[in-house]
Amino acid sequence: MLRYALNRLLLSVPTLILVSAAVFLLMRLVPGDPVVLMLGDQADPQQAADMRAAMGLDRSVFVQYGLWLLHAVSGDLGRSTTNDLPVLPLVLSRFQVTATIVFAAVAIAAVVAIPLGTVAAWRQNTKADFAIVSGATLLLSIPSFWLGLLMLLFFGLKLGWVPVVGYVSFSEDAFKAALYIVLPVATLTLIEIGILTRMARAAAIDVLRLEYVAHARAKGLRESRVLRRHVLPNAFAPTLTLIGIVLGNLLGGVAVIETVFTLPGLGRLLVDGIYARDYPVVQGCMLFIATIYVVVNLLVDLAYPFFDPRVTAS
Amino acid sequence: MRAALGRTVFLGCLWAAQPALAQTPGDYTIRASLNSDIRGTQPGGNRDANTDVVMMHVLEGLVAYREDTSVGPMLAESWSLSEDGRTYTFKLRQGVTFHNGATMTAADVVWSWRRYLNPATQWRCLPDLDGRGLSKVVSVEAVDAQTVAVTLDKPSAIFLSIIARADCGQTAILHPDSVGADGQWREPIGTGPYRIGEWKRGQSIELTRFDRYASRQGEMDGFTGGKVAYAARLRFVVIPDASAARAALLGNSVDVLTDVPMAEATDLRTRAGVTLLHTPTMGVTAFLLQTRDPVLRDPRIRQAFALSLDVRQIVEGTMEGMAQQNPSIVPIRSRWHDEAQSQRPARNVAAARRLLAEAGYRGQPIRMQVNRRYANTYDAAVAAQAMAEEAGLKIELEVLDWATQLDRYTRGDYQMQSFIYSARLDPSLSYEMIAGPKETQPRKVWDNPAAQALIQRSMQVTGDAERQAILAELFKMFSQDVPMVILYNQPDFLAGRDAIQGLRAWPSGHTRLWNVWVR
Repeated sequence: MLRYALNRLLLSVPTLILVSAAVFLLMRLVPGDPVVLMLGDQADPQQAADMRAAMGLDRSVFVQYGLWLLHAVSGDLGRSTTNDLPVLPLVLSRFQVTATIVFAAVAIAAVVAIPLGTVAAWRQNTKADFAIVSGATLLLSIPSFWLGLLMLLFFGLKLGWVPVVGYVSFSEDAFKAALYIVLPVATLTLIEIGILTRMARAAAIDVLRLEYVAHARAKGLRESRVLRRHVLPNAFAPTLTLIGIVLGNLLGGVAVIETVFTLPGLGRLLVDGIYARDYPVVQGCMLFIATIYVVVNLLVDLAYPFFDPRVTAS
Repeated sequence: MRAALGRTVFLGCLWAAQPALAQTPGDYTIRASLNSDIRGTQPGGNRDANTDVVMMHVLEGLVAYREDTSVGPMLAESWSLSEDGRTYTFKLRQGVTFHNGATMTAADVVWSWRRYLNPATQWRCLPDLDGRGLSKVVSVEAVDAQTVAVTLDKPSAIFLSIIARADCGQTAILHPDSVGADGQWREPIGTGPYRIGEWKRGQSIELTRFDRYASRQGEMDGFTGGKVAYAARLRFVVIPDASAARAALLGNSVDVLTDVPMAEATDLRTRAGVTLLHTPTMGVTAFLLQTRDPVLRDPRIRQAFALSLDVRQIVEGTMEGMAQQNPSIVPIRSRWHDEAQSQRPARNVAAARRLLAEAGYRGQPIRMQVNRRYANTYDAAVAAQAMAEEAGLKIELEVLDWATQLDRYTRGDYQMQSFIYSARLDPSLSYEMIAGPKETQPRKVWDNPAAQALIQRSMQVTGDAERQAILAELFKMFSQDVPMVILYNQPDFLAGRDAIQGLRAWPSGHTRLWNVWVR
């Protein structure tokens, strides 16, 4: 298992280099000059040229990339051109915010969605199934910014239960922190419930059709026991793969949710970086997100044999 | 619409004129929104409009802009100009204290100025004062402990206007401990009514009251005048989403919204418990026409475009009565803007068609670059597109993100743009912003050597009447050349909860939270 994990990690190195090269080149292809953005419509040509030289942007793209890669290998992702902060600590601090929300939301969504999906499959083509599938489809279809704003206006503004904007970290004040993240977590949870319920339902329908389920029923086991012992564990493995993909997606930043709820997360950092043409930040974020994808997928693959004994690491 | 405008302005005036309820410094926090985090704390360094708003509470220069956009004394008690017009002698105010408790002297002024003039500082306004612009600072000397002399290589009518600019950090006077022994920037030790407190990157920045602040006498006047720090703390909270910011104001999570977008402003002006203030700023919203473009280089086509537009209707429709049309690059709130500069030819579609026919225009599509970041400029472009079509001009809109549009503007790579200029508080600087040789400065919109010579002249003359005459001549030339169609000066919208007193909008567009208190 350890060798398998190490192999996978080693194989991911070329992927990460490719990703970094692609992001680096793509960012340079996008029109817009960070120096002009910084100096605005009053940019003096000589001053802009001096600043470009100071930022190393006057060198060829390949030299810039080589230097950046050289530093990146030693953990130095450069400094933000927007606020001169070192990129790696910036990305890590923003990731903490995103991870808190995403892990909480996905965990709650999984706990709710998997039983719901299983029940929908068990009651396939009944009113219960229709209600669950309709609800899941509705949640899946609502744009996250709209749902977020509705939650914010209703619970924050109308009822005044939670603060409308801001963020407090758990290390500062756990209670306040919980208050600040309850709405973003709820918004994200509702959306992810939609996705996971549909997946759990599809997986459970497949399992319910298998012979060992018919055999268990023929033995006279109660339906609840059939579902708990035979359907749920076997339907969970495909859902786990989806959870891995969802986690990878969301940990890369939930920019819309972070913007609506004013959370200083990774997604907002990336989007702000793109708008400001903050090359080091965008490159750092994208490399970090690619690494997260690799790690999350590896962890999911390593966890798979525990839920489906037919699959082994070898 | 006019009634709503009148009501808003009336309430704004009434609000500002209320008696001073609980108008004493107290131990409370005023929370204001920013749509993005500040970029840094170094005056005139890495900055944007939000950075300037925050730092103007911390930093002060020798002179500062007044409410009427003229320049008045700030840390200087007074100044005099030598007979040859080259040497400004600033008499400093007595008893001004830095945030670290040290008393400000001429030596600090000289140190600050020499630091700004050192290219290693990368002060954004250096090109205006090192000879690349109109004049060069040749020396900064302390005459005595309270007097500083700044000598230029030649006279300049805009020297004070330059050093008072907020984007130049008001050429703030700093204590030398603001910089480390290695010459690296540490933190601003200035003389403003507030000093930097906790800065949570990407979230908020808190300023704390400077209890030993030495205020000027008199009323608040722009960035100068009397300043009282009523609130013990100012917290600027970063709220990127405008709807979330509005919800935060209505939900009492912030007290003041700065830089309110148009869409939110129209909603907020009808809300109870909230007061919306607005005033025209010195920024300019306009359609830029590329005079080197094969189609648009014919002035008749540019004139036809201008004649095809009903600018009053565009402004009224897109700004819902909260802006006033202005055909001149000199802002409407500038003391240099006169009636002659308000005259714009009425819409005349027939004349526009005739000019197009004379120019041999055959319906070639003209692409106008627009962005959605400044939604009102996009709306104006849509309206203009429809109006121009009536005259036979075929305009296609190309929506870009702001960074891309700004890049194209800088390179002169466009046919038309719906564009927004930041504020210039001096009329010569307003003209200088758009006029220049395209060969060497492709971002310049108006390439007319005679106009450039006049602009240079306007920067050197010291008599008001002569300068006004030059500006009138420039406006005439500009109206004939039509390198751009100026629509209006974008308003600054500022919203506050009713409990917040003393808040005032002003042409600079920078929110000021000194002299603001909680009822």
